[in-house]
Amino acid sequence: MSLYVNTGADSPASPYLPVGAVVTRVAKLTDKERLFALAPESPMDFAYQPGQFFMAGLPGYGEAPFSITSAPGGRELELCIRAVGNLTNAIHRVSKGGRLWIRGPFGRGFDTTELKGRDLVYIAGGIGIVPMRSLIKAVVGRGDYGGRTLIYGAKTPSEILFQGEMDEWSGKGMRVMVTIDKPAGAWGGNVGVVTTLMPKAEIRPGRTTAVIIGPPVMYKFVIMALRQRGLRDEDILVSLERRMKCGLGKCGHCQINGVYACQCGPVFKLSELKGLPEAL
Amino acid sequence: MPPVTPMRFLAKAGWSRLVSGLVEDYLVYGTVKKDGFPAYGRITNVRDLILFQTPTHLSAKEFLFPQRETLLKFNMEDGGHEPVVDAPAQVIIGMHSCDIHAMNLMDVVFAYGTPDANYLARRANTIVIGTDCFPDQYCFCPSVGTDKVNEGFDLYLHPIKKGFLVRTGTERGGAILKKYASSRQATASEERELKALDKRKEGSFVTKLDAPHTELPAIYAQSDNSPVWDKIGAICYGCGSCNNVCPTCYCFDVKDEVKPDLRTGERVRVWDGCTLEEFSLVAGGHNFRRPRSARLRHRMNRKFRYLAGVFNAPFCVGCGRCIRTCLVRINIAEVTNELIREYRSR
Repeated sequence: MSLYVNTGADSPASPYLPVGAVVTRVAKLTDKERLFALAPESPMDFAYQPGQFFMAGLPGYGEAPFSITSAPGGRELELCIRAVGNLTNAIHRVSKGGRLWIRGPFGRGFDTTELKGRDLVYIAGGIGIVPMRSLIKAVVGRGDYGGRTLIYGAKTPSEILFQGEMDEWSGKGMRVMVTIDKPAGAWGGNVGVVTTLMPKAEIRPGRTTAVIIGPPVMYKFVIMALRQRGLRDEDILVSLERRMKCGLGKCGHCQINGVYACQCGPVFKLSELKGLPEAL
Repeated sequence: MPPVTPMRFLAKAGWSRLVSGLVEDYLVYGTVKKDGFPAYGRITNVRDLILFQTPTHLSAKEFLFPQRETLLKFNMEDGGHEPVVDAPAQVIIGMHSCDIHAMNLMDVVFAYGTPDANYLARRANTIVIGTDCFPDQYCFCPSVGTDKVNEGFDLYLHPIKKGFLVRTGTERGGAILKKYASSRQATASEERELKALDKRKEGSFVTKLDAPHTELPAIYAQSDNSPVWDKIGAICYGCGSCNNVCPTCYCFDVKDEVKPDLRTGERVRVWDGCTLEEFSLVAGGHNFRRPRSARLRHRMNRKFRYLAGVFNAPFCVGCGRCIRTCLVRINIAEVTNELIREYRSR
């Protein structure tokens, strides 16, 4: 089907060819973030884990890696995209019925089987709630997982994502604690960084697994607080942001010391990051 | 494993006929001089070739992994995407042993995991004729085991007084040798002549690594906090020249280029470099390797430790190009030797 192939019949297909995905729903979540529900036009392997990512793009604007925010197992893929640059602003102009072009899923996500029976403490900062939502939705309300707590920090009340869903998650037995960075208007909740809420979370070393996703600056402090509460590095999971260009373990952009985040990550156990000083 | 074939003798006239034949049938690139420096260029006549030089300024990677390469063509109006795999039938003449080793590493890099259709198609359509070389003061291939090569080339040319001794690395190489020129089996005295030349060359290397390359992954692993990184980081311009000239630097960026009609365009892959400031920048503005010292440390670790661990061979082939090209004389061999000294004095 490609016009310019000048090779033998057994040559591999281009791994860069994206699949068209129809936008079936767009939800404006905040001034900057929109949720896009996507249905791929041609059959593709759609089995993904929470924590994995897709490359999504538009012809003429390029492509970038985006975390999956929907729960696995559905027929749709949801990406929550913050408008910050050329590509993401162009994606925000795509409405229902339009198309994004995707490749994936890529990377290693969360092993939800391994997490069975564990108490889970989710710690999300800012847009880190986006991939966290995929994991939360995969396990929320299920009896085969232990206690659940979400600690979520946003800059301002207007930047809180998935607020409605959080009430739903609370209804299903999850403890939800939200904090904002600076006091604002009618906000009656907690003010301060996410670590200010951590003393209120029930953390039981040996039974609790903590999951951290947030801006790079957040990890160090949250990890310090978790270690003080007695959590072992094996029981702390992190998802590390890098700007992948290929998703195939080749372009080098996501390399953390000797490890390609697009292949071995983006989800890591903290214990796996020993010897990777560039990780955090 | 490559077929073991006896060394053939090819007279100078036979070599001319071989090149002339290749020029008729293929796009041929080979070593020439540009502005007085060894370089690769398009060859249309055997007289264009200048063989057996010191290493070329740029490596031959551009013929297999072009600086800019189209991956897809797209139409912004109907969203059509077409993959593009441009793989001309080409010949590279004059690749040195180190560069063939580098190419063999690239072959593995682009084939493992998800195979890279573009590279592999180009590689399959490329005939490689290796040649002997003259080391300059920056070459250190014997230190990384790349001064001799036994595979990766189709033909390999050793100059002797009367003509050339030719090794055949592939069936394709044997076929073109037979098709375009007549050769005969080399005599014992011709092979002795070559051995003597090799021996003389071995003694001519100035730059050396002070530890076996197999020890370098362990030495680099202990050297993250070495003062040498700040020392070279302080003088580095972050220009990325070392990445450009390196035959095993293959990091790239993928971006879209829109045609002036504003409707069509191409998704292209272009060389990128880990020593450039924005290489590890992420969306929120955080840069995981912002200091130049961290970027240089990353590059050199990739050469001697990170990729060496995955692919079981050093990714520095000792060609000396990054040393020759560096505006501030950062010398990867000296840096490595300093790390070796620090490691041994601990």
